[in-house]
Amino acid sequence: MKVTLNWLKQYVDIPWSPEELTERLTLLGVEVEGVQKIAGEWDGVVVAQIVTRDKHPNADKLSLCRVNDGTGERQIVCGAQNFKVGDKVPLILPGASLPMKLGDKEPFTIKVGKIRGIESHGMLCSHEELGIDPESIGHLKEDGLLLLGETAVVGQSLASYLGRSGSDIVYDLEITPNRPDLTSLIGIAREIAAITGQPLRLPECPVLAECGVTAASLVSVSLEALDLCPRYTARIIRGVKVGPSPAWLRSALEKVGVRSINNVVDVSNYVLLETGHPLHTFDYSLIAAGAGGKPSIVVRRAVFEESFTTLDGRVHSLGQETLLIADAEKGIALAGVMGGSNSEIRESTVDVLIESAYFLPASIRRTSKALGMRTDASYRFERGADVGICDYASRRCAALILETAGGQLADGSVEFYPSPLDPHQVALRHQRTDALTGTVISPEEQSRILTGLGLVDVTPIGGSIETATWLIPTWRVDLKREVDLIEEVVRVFGVGRIPSTQPRRAQGSHPADAHFDRLTEVRRLLSGLGLDEAQGQTLVSEASARWVTESVVLLANPLSSEMNALRPSLLPGLLDTLRHNLSRRNGDVQLFEIGRVFVPHEGGVREGWRLALALTGARAPRFWSGLERDARCDIPDLKGLIEEVIERIGLRGIAWLRRPEPTSLFIESASIALGGKLALGQLGQLQPQLAKLYDLRDGVFLAELDLDLLFQRGNSGKSFKPLAQFPSIQRDLALIVVESTTHDSVLAVVKQAKPAHLETVTLFDVFRGKHVPEGRKSLAYSFTYRAADRTLKDDEVNAAHARVIEAVKEALGAVLRD
Amino acid sequence: MSLQDRLSTIRDAAVSEFTGALDLPALERSKGLFLGPEGRFTALMKELSALAREERPLAGKAINAAKQELEALLAEKRATLERTASLPKEAADFTAPGRRRPLGRLHPLTLVTEDIVRAFRRLGFAVADGPEIEDEYHCFDALNTPSDHPARDAQDTFFIETPGRPLLRTHTSSVQIRVMETMPPPIRIVVPGRVFRRDNADATHNPTFHQIEGLYVDKGVTLGDLKGTVEAVFKDVLGDDVKLRFRPHYFSYTEPSMEIDFTNALVKKLGKDWLEIAGCGMVHPKVFETVGYDPEVWSGWAFGFGIERIAMLRYGITDIRLFYENDARFLRQF
Repeated sequence: MKVTLNWLKQYVDIPWSPEELTERLTLLGVEVEGVQKIAGEWDGVVVAQIVTRDKHPNADKLSLCRVNDGTGERQIVCGAQNFKVGDKVPLILPGASLPMKLGDKEPFTIKVGKIRGIESHGMLCSHEELGIDPESIGHLKEDGLLLLGETAVVGQSLASYLGRSGSDIVYDLEITPNRPDLTSLIGIAREIAAITGQPLRLPECPVLAECGVTAASLVSVSLEALDLCPRYTARIIRGVKVGPSPAWLRSALEKVGVRSINNVVDVSNYVLLETGHPLHTFDYSLIAAGAGGKPSIVVRRAVFEESFTTLDGRVHSLGQETLLIADAEKGIALAGVMGGSNSEIRESTVDVLIESAYFLPASIRRTSKALGMRTDASYRFERGADVGICDYASRRCAALILETAGGQLADGSVEFYPSPLDPHQVALRHQRTDALTGTVISPEEQSRILTGLGLVDVTPIGGSIETATWLIPTWRVDLKREVDLIEEVVRVFGVGRIPSTQPRRAQGSHPADAHFDRLTEVRRLLSGLGLDEAQGQTLVSEASARWVTESVVLLANPLSSEMNALRPSLLPGLLDTLRHNLSRRNGDVQLFEIGRVFVPHEGGVREGWRLALALTGARAPRFWSGLERDARCDIPDLKGLIEEVIERIGLRGIAWLRRPEPTSLFIESASIALGGKLALGQLGQLQPQLAKLYDLRDGVFLAELDLDLLFQRGNSGKSFKPLAQFPSIQRDLALIVVESTTHDSVLAVVKQAKPAHLETVTLFDVFRGKHVPEGRKSLAYSFTYRAADRTLKDDEVNAAHARVIEAVKEALGAVLRD
Repeated sequence: MSLQDRLSTIRDAAVSEFTGALDLPALERSKGLFLGPEGRFTALMKELSALAREERPLAGKAINAAKQELEALLAEKRATLERTASLPKEAADFTAPGRRRPLGRLHPLTLVTEDIVRAFRRLGFAVADGPEIEDEYHCFDALNTPSDHPARDAQDTFFIETPGRPLLRTHTSSVQIRVMETMPPPIRIVVPGRVFRRDNADATHNPTFHQIEGLYVDKGVTLGDLKGTVEAVFKDVLGDDVKLRFRPHYFSYTEPSMEIDFTNALVKKLGKDWLEIAGCGMVHPKVFETVGYDPEVWSGWAFGFGIERIAMLRYGITDIRLFYENDARFLRQF
């Protein structure tokens, strides 16, 4: 909301500089989001009075004067001759500039300077220097200083003496939604008054001249929806002259960004800004008469699909819960939101009806939301207007209309307020404030602060001295319980004045604490293994989600089809990331991501933590030597990483189950299972068609693991095994087997043969080609035999190894390779 | 020639032969010529037996001395040649690039999150977490955000197309409720996590982003405690020169509520006096009542802020979308 400094000053004295006001308001919780200076006419020119006039000691034609500028006396050297002691003249102060004239390149700025050896603190001005035609302001045209009239007040700005707009400052304030009372000049002024202790000056509404015709004889009001509109006031002014607003009114509105329309509408806007209370003015002649023969206002709910045209020209079809201001025949305003085009003030308007009412916040909010209309009025009613100010605002509005548009006010008002809302009372234990803030704020200070904000101490006489009971003013709809009052005390007292205390040493606990560390450990491990960490979007496209699974959770209100599903897997996001990198000419990417995924589960959604890996391009950074320098990432690279993770988390008995057929995502893949059954995840090579869709050229290798299961089943406990005391004996064995023979099947056969003292079996070469028939491959293993208690003999090992050889020949049809 | 003379001749020949050997095989050949079974020196030793008995000791001594001398020379020469032979064939170019074992980088959001969590943990906070898919109760109602509050507008919140129409949490504060519902006070937790707002992505918005917040509930917790802890955490995260300012504000689930501005050399460099960094406040008694804590006995505070914002400030990142594109050139900078 915008307010101006000069407007604020009408209600409260502000003892601070404009900058300090910014700071004070911000620290009070009214954040100043912007400050804009508006230059006025003749800035820095004030009315001064000549106190003494003497000859300049060094120059015959100059005078040396002392003048009073309203704050004190200053010395001025002057060349004019047409003045005497006691005259009031314009004084331009050092730092200010004279108005630019035709041909000026830059304004002439006054400085403190010596004229013929004597300092002059400013300059007395002629009408020419000020660019004023003296006759236009009723002064004589003469050479020399512009002599001002008797009404000029010493110290007053020249602009204000001449009735022109002076400089001003516009503050753009952020008002929090709990404080509708601050959406007004008076509200802000009240906050300032609360900290300065200065009185708040509310505009007086004198008893208004009346004309002998009662308002009640001119209009009837009936409230058919008391639950939505507990209070309604109507006043009538007859015989106004609608026209342009006076300069002060137009300027006040325009400075805060409100367009001037005409004097009547401008007044209602002015009162809205001043008091925060939205008013509406109707052309009385357009209100249809009811049964009693006089125009009638009916506050009712709209009929379903009732059509209504607001004054912005939009046609609305209303719902049954929309509150409507109507006459006997038709709707004339959307209550609390906007008036209708059928009853608005126009140039021909002669009689005006002023509506000042209180509407239920929820009702206005519903209407404004349903129709997509947010107005200055709805903004305030939605957050809670001041039910107590209806009549005051109406009278203030009437007074200003009479002042600016003339007319005669009908006697009294037609007011409906059948069940006045009870004023709210809240008790405050002073000690509670201290307990919550951790500092002592005396009961007197707490009371002073709350009183300053307009609360009234209604503690019963003889009541407890520890507790005060406060009557909450009607404009403070946010003050409902004790802590709300404590907040007020803290705000005005100043959060900055509450001393910080050392953090207390205490121990928190939560199951997620250990989980956080486990995630951290996996991240460190994978970055240590050379993978960069990615963080993908949680929201992905349904299409990409379906590459991974058919069970996808969809958003009910997505922003776009690119982000309409919750990721069921981290892989679609990683594919996006790979594409992004490739499109920026980085084809070598090795990434991991740890994050949550979402899968449908028993009618709801299950969240789970996953780890995903993605490799493509070169295995290692480019290097100038070495056999493997051109190596590309492959399945064993991927599996090696997974093995590191699984080992770190502490899982044994992992099976890598090759899937017989390609899947929608993978051309070749395996599931990773614990104990042969529990699926922990999958790994594989991306379908080439899909890779093409993502503009990926190299082989792309992807894996995803269920981290929840991994952590749940893992046991990272370590135990020491004694170091071997006796030497081992090694035997190598190269087997030619059919292609379909897997490493696992070789191990299984070896295990079944139960060779004595076999310690480890290591695959060290896989070979296809020369001396190996087509459709077969050679697997070379190294067997290590060792006994824990003695040095093995060659023939013992030979015997054991012979069993191995027999077993693989028989079970796998293997042929030994020399 | 006497035996002595011949010994002297053979010794000299051997010395010259051994010394002149160019490589190990040549040395071994020379050794064979003199000290091998068929060697000249060996032959000379065989002649000893032919000598007169009285001449033998003297001659034997001389031969042994010469043999020892030759063997010592041989060993020395062998060591020299071995050393020569083991020299690399080509000299290493120490200026050529080293072979790096690639080290991956953690995501900047991870690094910042871990730093913030560490700061909280030093003060005794434990990490807590909750679901990202929430219901209206935990995300709004229980946090004293009434159903007609602007924050509940559908424009701001993503809803899920499943029965019950759950939503994606708009803040980590829902975890406050989850934790207080299930654990008795005192509570001392820090909650990092993903949150969601229905904003189109631009330089400062992404539908997904991260928040972190601390919650402390105990007997006698004060606003002074809140300020002290906020200061400790931000000094840890933003550096010792950070200055904070608390401005009264409004959040439905805390009261009094405040926004926190900070300033340091960086903020000044950006041409600002203060930058908003976090929101905080004393837990609203209504929130306590909702989770079944007695607000007359327990008090507490919460404060929270955006992780992206801290990361953007710390690293000078100006576009939030960079965090979610995972461009390798971006990731490798942290």
